[in-house]
Amino acid sequence: MSTHAATISSATVSASAPASSLSGSANKALTLGIIGLVATAAGLAVSGGKAVAFSYLTGIVFWTGIALGALFLVMIHHVFDAGWSTVLRRQFENWLSCMPWLALLFVPLIISAFVAPGMIWKWTDPSYDLAQVGGHGTVAQDVLWVKKSGLLSTTSLVIATFIGFAGWSLLANRFRTHSFTQDTDGDIAHTHASRFWTAVGLPFTALSMTLCVILWVKALDYHWYSTMYGVWFFAGCVRGALSVGMIITVWLWNRGDYKGILNNNHMHSHGMLMFAFTVFWAYITFSQYFLIYMANIPEETFWYSLREINTDGQFNTWGYVGFFLLFGHFVAPFLTLIHYPVKLSKTWMPRIAAFIAFVFLVDVIYNVMPSLKKITGDAYPFTSINLLWIATSVVGVGGVCVWAYLNSFAKTKLIPIRDPRIGESLTHHE
Amino acid sequence: MADSIYGLMARFDSASEIFHAAEQVRNAGYKHWDCITPFPIHGLDGAMGVRRSHVPKFSLIGGLTGFTTGMSMIWFTGAFDYPLIVGGKPYFSPLFAFPISYELTILFTAFATIGGMFLLNWLPQHYHPVLKSKDITRGLDDTFYVVIEARDPKFDLARAKALLTQAGAKEISELEA
Repeated sequence: MSTHAATISSATVSASAPASSLSGSANKALTLGIIGLVATAAGLAVSGGKAVAFSYLTGIVFWTGIALGALFLVMIHHVFDAGWSTVLRRQFENWLSCMPWLALLFVPLIISAFVAPGMIWKWTDPSYDLAQVGGHGTVAQDVLWVKKSGLLSTTSLVIATFIGFAGWSLLANRFRTHSFTQDTDGDIAHTHASRFWTAVGLPFTALSMTLCVILWVKALDYHWYSTMYGVWFFAGCVRGALSVGMIITVWLWNRGDYKGILNNNHMHSHGMLMFAFTVFWAYITFSQYFLIYMANIPEETFWYSLREINTDGQFNTWGYVGFFLLFGHFVAPFLTLIHYPVKLSKTWMPRIAAFIAFVFLVDVIYNVMPSLKKITGDAYPFTSINLLWIATSVVGVGGVCVWAYLNSFAKTKLIPIRDPRIGESLTHHE
Repeated sequence: MADSIYGLMARFDSASEIFHAAEQVRNAGYKHWDCITPFPIHGLDGAMGVRRSHVPKFSLIGGLTGFTTGMSMIWFTGAFDYPLIVGGKPYFSPLFAFPISYELTILFTAFATIGGMFLLNWLPQHYHPVLKSKDITRGLDDTFYVVIEARDPKFDLARAKALLTQAGAKEISELEA
């Protein structure tokens, strides 16, 4: 095994092909990202702060979710002392370089909670008049807020977001540093250190991610109760990250980088993970819906009612989005990924992966946007100008993530060449 | 002559030897032959030219049967045979029929998979002609055998022997029918 690892070292795995073209692509991604962010900012003049802020929140939660999914995949690799995924881990580590940038891009939303309290999260302004969204009284008079006010406050929002991003960036930095340094010194201590950070990082990330998604997204409608929410987001995050990973894998494969490194079994195992998380997402999402449907308690059912019918009983556009999620996020990926030949196909897998990532975005939109309510308490339709601001936000934040990834990719080796399990990974099931 | 024997059994001493021997037997166009190894060898199915198993088809049929059984059972009991309102819910909805349908999908898929595997492998099989050979126990312990059956349309004793010898067989014996 070790001899095999030695033979493939620096000779074939140089620090990635044409550096100039890569930095060109990275700059293009950054330019595109900045254009997206500027366009989003321009949207403030067109649609007003509230609609644009919700759209931007959608975009940043989507990309933060993917980054968190990548962080989880790296940690899951270490906690299981996994072998086969060693070659794939490097691209997730590269992807993690976007974490501090996501923190920076989140700052405007936090500032908005001070500059325009109540605009995104109603509870950041206890004097917020609920009549604006079909309710009555103010937030401070709302017993459901009073009971939850220990958590739902601007202070908690700031602290949770800070601790979350600081912790995730630290973890990302640790895994990246240890893995990249090991390429040069080959010291096994880096593997052990990564394992230590995983032991700390897994429970930390699970809790902080749950807390953040509750504050950022779930508490947009702070009346709601759901114990499945953190797990729902986790499932979406990992699906998003696996999809990005698959697209990167096939991109590098087609470029020729993975020649003699990856075999069909890596594709198969990666595809199996995507399949498993498809089922996991369906299980969690269905459970959330099913428990609320069965219990039939108004504080819970209103969340789904809002996404299906208007107050006058009319079926609204979000109902179709819900059905699209059922078929697009579960049925279609389930029925395609279940086939062995599909999991190996370099034509199908990136398409399926891109589709899953797209539907993860729709899932985030489905969770965020209906909370932007009209004065009647109905959700604004799915098809509105806000889709444009969501698109610009996704391109904006995504451009920065891709730029960070390409920069990191250009500086590091294609695979962790001196990882103790690299030999095992190169001969996965062979 | 070829009618009176079951086939030829050739011994190989290592996994890589039998791997390459399997490739040669495959390329020679034999259909009725097998490898006997003490442990699974990665890629041997490819070297033998074995195609993907048909078991998933059984699994699919089992899964669909299970899902349909679950849905129709809940419909039959709750909406047809003895209509009963429970918890203010409709007589039938695929929503509350889903958990049981999902459980039955898994259960029936598992049964169909196991059943299909047994069927396709002709299991349980208490007797097989290779068991007549005294050496076969070593094939379960530390050595590797290729068995070419006489019923193979291409089978010709002399040629099969030559092929196995050329493939590096350490020892070739004829198996009684």
